[in-house]
Amino acid sequence: MMLTLARRSLRARLGRSIFTGLAIMAGVAFVAGSFVLADSLKSTFDNLIDGLTGEIDLEVRTELTVDDLDAVRDPLPDTLVADVAAVPGVKVAEGGYARFAQMLDKKGKPVTTQGAPTLGVSWNPDSGLSGVELKDGRAPQATDEVAIDKATADRVGYVVGDTIRVVLKDGQHDFTIVGLVGLGNSDGFVGATTVVWDPVSAARWLDTENTVDTIDIKVADGADVATVQDAIAAMLPERTEVVTGEQIAEETKDQVGEIVSIFGTGLLIFALVTALVAAFVINNIYNISISQRLRELALLRAVGANGAQIRRLVLTEALTVSVVATVLGMFGGIGVAKALIVAFDAAGGGFPDTPLLFKVRTGVVAAIVGIGVSVVSVLLPSLRASHIPPVAAMRPDVGFSALSLSQRLVRGTVLSVGGLALFLFGLFARPGSGSQWGLLTGAGALGIVFGVTSLSALIARPVSRVIAAPIARMLGVAGTFARDNAARVPRRTARTASALMIGVTLITGAAVFTASLRDTWGRILEQGTSFDYIVLDSESFQPLTPEIANRLEALPELSAVSPFRNIRAQIGGSTSTVTAVDPVAFPQLANLDITAGGFDRVTPADGVMIYRSAADDLGVGAGDVVDVTWQNGKQTRLTVAGLFDDNSLGSNWFISVGLLESISTQVPTDQFVVAKRADGVDAATARQAIDVAVADFPQASVRSNNEFVAEQKARIDTLLFLVTLLLTVAIAFSFLGIAITLALSVFERTHEIGLLRAVGMGRRTLRRSVRGEAVIVTLFGALIGVALGMLFGLAFSYAVPDNVINGITIPYQTLAFVLVFAVVAAVVAATYPAIKASRMNVLAAIATE
Amino acid sequence: MTASAAAGAIDARKTYGVGDAAVHALDGITISFEPAKFTAIMGPSGSGKSTLLHCLAGLDALTHGAVFIGDTHLASLSDKQLTELRRRSVGFVFQAYNLIPTLTARENILLPLMLGGESGDEAWIDQVVDTVGLRNRLSHRPDELSGGQQQRVAVARALANRPTIIFADEPTGNLDSNAGNEILTFMREAVDRYGQTIVIVTHDPYAAAYADRVVFLADGKIVHDMADPTADSIIDRMKRIGH
Repeated sequence: MMLTLARRSLRARLGRSIFTGLAIMAGVAFVAGSFVLADSLKSTFDNLIDGLTGEIDLEVRTELTVDDLDAVRDPLPDTLVADVAAVPGVKVAEGGYARFAQMLDKKGKPVTTQGAPTLGVSWNPDSGLSGVELKDGRAPQATDEVAIDKATADRVGYVVGDTIRVVLKDGQHDFTIVGLVGLGNSDGFVGATTVVWDPVSAARWLDTENTVDTIDIKVADGADVATVQDAIAAMLPERTEVVTGEQIAEETKDQVGEIVSIFGTGLLIFALVTALVAAFVINNIYNISISQRLRELALLRAVGANGAQIRRLVLTEALTVSVVATVLGMFGGIGVAKALIVAFDAAGGGFPDTPLLFKVRTGVVAAIVGIGVSVVSVLLPSLRASHIPPVAAMRPDVGFSALSLSQRLVRGTVLSVGGLALFLFGLFARPGSGSQWGLLTGAGALGIVFGVTSLSALIARPVSRVIAAPIARMLGVAGTFARDNAARVPRRTARTASALMIGVTLITGAAVFTASLRDTWGRILEQGTSFDYIVLDSESFQPLTPEIANRLEALPELSAVSPFRNIRAQIGGSTSTVTAVDPVAFPQLANLDITAGGFDRVTPADGVMIYRSAADDLGVGAGDVVDVTWQNGKQTRLTVAGLFDDNSLGSNWFISVGLLESISTQVPTDQFVVAKRADGVDAATARQAIDVAVADFPQASVRSNNEFVAEQKARIDTLLFLVTLLLTVAIAFSFLGIAITLALSVFERTHEIGLLRAVGMGRRTLRRSVRGEAVIVTLFGALIGVALGMLFGLAFSYAVPDNVINGITIPYQTLAFVLVFAVVAAVVAATYPAIKASRMNVLAAIATE
Repeated sequence: MTASAAAGAIDARKTYGVGDAAVHALDGITISFEPAKFTAIMGPSGSGKSTLLHCLAGLDALTHGAVFIGDTHLASLSDKQLTELRRRSVGFVFQAYNLIPTLTARENILLPLMLGGESGDEAWIDQVVDTVGLRNRLSHRPDELSGGQQQRVAVARALANRPTIIFADEPTGNLDSNAGNEILTFMREAVDRYGQTIVIVTHDPYAAAYADRVVFLADGKIVHDMADPTADSIIDRMKRIGH
């Protein structure tokens, strides 16, 4: 019987069921999409890596003692290739390398990559060891011929036969494109732009100085790989190793997996926020619809339905909707994943052809989210429904007793205060591991949100009256009605507003945090730097060839020039980035706030400047020694040349470029180059001279100190924009929630609206009053959201160390924009309910009781 | 108070509010309803007649006193037992909003039976359906039926499980006089032909005249108990009470 009733009721309230279903679907689709995307990418890359390394039996490379993505292996002498090839059992030994090669597009602008490398590689199509595959044209054979990756070619508009200009480490050169290539079955090189030469031309153009990065080996048929591996190991120079193809594949998969999982987790957080907002909206819809069905449900009780049957009826309805929506949402998730891949590809991702992978785990999580959201949303309403007294069928005023004021006060206060305590404890005391205190903080924040939602019903009446005062004055009678309606059922106003509140809270929190971060970063850069110019790749974020620093050093217009060149090292048990600079020029270019010793003791032979807190951790001072194990395994004992207090340039350790070059043979690249103008040279002249000096390297941007600081700040603002973008779906749903709540309450007030119309209220006035009500409810939610968001933003800003955020910036403009946007969106959301109210047939409305 | 009464109340009191604001909707009512009789309860607005009906039917609880249906005292019942009682022993007809809008007429009639997971007595149901003349409207939804037809469905629903007693709260209040007369005729027939016990609350002396007995209420007390009423005798009595 309950099933029949549930089915009929769903059909009768189809629109509402569809909306509820859509809200669940969006949450599920987002969650499933995040998993599908991460799983699919991981699996696709794994397959790709297997394909690439499948032909390689063994690989010779230098050792790396630091296990992270920032560390770079030293190259090998290319004479080793012949030596390895001579080892018995080796069939083919091929040296491989990837070096800097920046493509220019047809207008001479650098082809950018959003952070992926810009590579030049050698390719011997006959060895069978390379994963590079020809997609179009033929393999390059002559000095002036290249192949480029098809993904980039398609994106930029190059075809076989075009001439392409490539920036190499010594300047620009023109080549003819004779072929297009990809990695395995993909058109790209996982986002990297790639220029391919035959091995002889590659060695010439890339100026490898007789080095290779790796030696790939295929063993002879019938030879035992392990035996050959041992034989090669025996003849290798020190700090060089030979590993199997499988091991390389595993290492690469781990690295890719790490990146994919960070990316997937980020998406998942936003997916869960969307699901949470959907839960609030759905909960509100169920609550209202149960109030409206009060009589029907009471009637069922009166003719003999028990509480459990009523509860089952409401739950069955909700579960039916949620199961359908969850299944659709899973398909939606596949769509979301597909759309994201297309979006990334359009941005130059060059993803391999990715078959989507829907794991059982994804289905389980999606089902838990989808069905969980609706069960959580409907649980309390269904309990209320089952307690409806049968007499309410005749006397609707009896209704059901809501949580009393004092109960609400107690519950809200306990949740908010408990949540706040948990939040602050997690954030500032940070017990346990990162994920543990993160969970604690998150749970606390959720507690605050729920508590404040509960409490907000208590203040909804007075606060909405205050908010409504100017609106009431502005709209006259319509405003008065808007105000009274918003204040009439404070619980509903609070619940409707709460979905919006969550979105606004997150945006406000993120805005306060990023604004503070941005301004702190700006201040730190202004204080910490004294260079006049900085040269860097501000598009693809790739390091620069040392040629740029060399050319700047030759300019008489500049008095001091220093590169900023990083290497990874183990010091005192932890891995750090050590930066090599010109020890004479650098002190003039950065304000390190040196408190002991100085750069005069940093020489090509010895000397390291240490950030004070890092030195304190090691327990060393100026004149003491520290033992350093570099990324290539070399060990050095360095004298502490001095201590500094300002590490705003991002490095805690400074050595000289000379020392770095004596330690590592890695291909030198500079993160950036900084320079100071010589006395008596005016800014325009100096800038002109630098521009001319780096003209051969269009990927290098020249920035004055002020321009650089502004650019860095703008970059942080982009972060906020991204967060806002990811919250869009959640915000859109909260406004749809407002629209549907208003429509339902208009429907509920049919009789009253009919009366108002009958005694002479115009349609315009009626529409206005509905819009006014929407604006009041929206502002109520948005204002609480801003207040909560400020709390979260400030807490996070205080929780991070001072060198990240050392002062609070309240982004008034952003907050004002959020409020204005909310009001506009509210008016839009009210359009349909307003029209519905104003089109009501007056006589029929009055007849409705 | 006979042991064979279909239902009744002993010193029934129902108070809303406390202290000075207290309102005594029922102020010590003792009454019993004989089986197979048609009783009308009358009284001015606020006299407590609807409250009495709700309490008798187990829809609402008394502040003081006792209510029984057959041999069962309602105060001793749990919510589960009360639900069972409403389903098996009590039928109820409301003034309005008395059908589930999403169910057909037939489904509405069978609702109490189906809620209890019973199939009911087919022959009896057929007989009821024919008595109220709904045979060709069974597959229609309430919004496709006239007010009179809807109320006939409601009466059929109340009769469907042959309850000990049927309560009706202003069953003709929303109907025109023709439709009202039809409903009352069906009720009269149910009492005469099938021995059904029926208690209705009404304002309308012509409706009350269908009953075997009229009980007059004022200020939560019984002020008069009239047997074999006619419309004239009822109107006469109403004038004297100051209706």
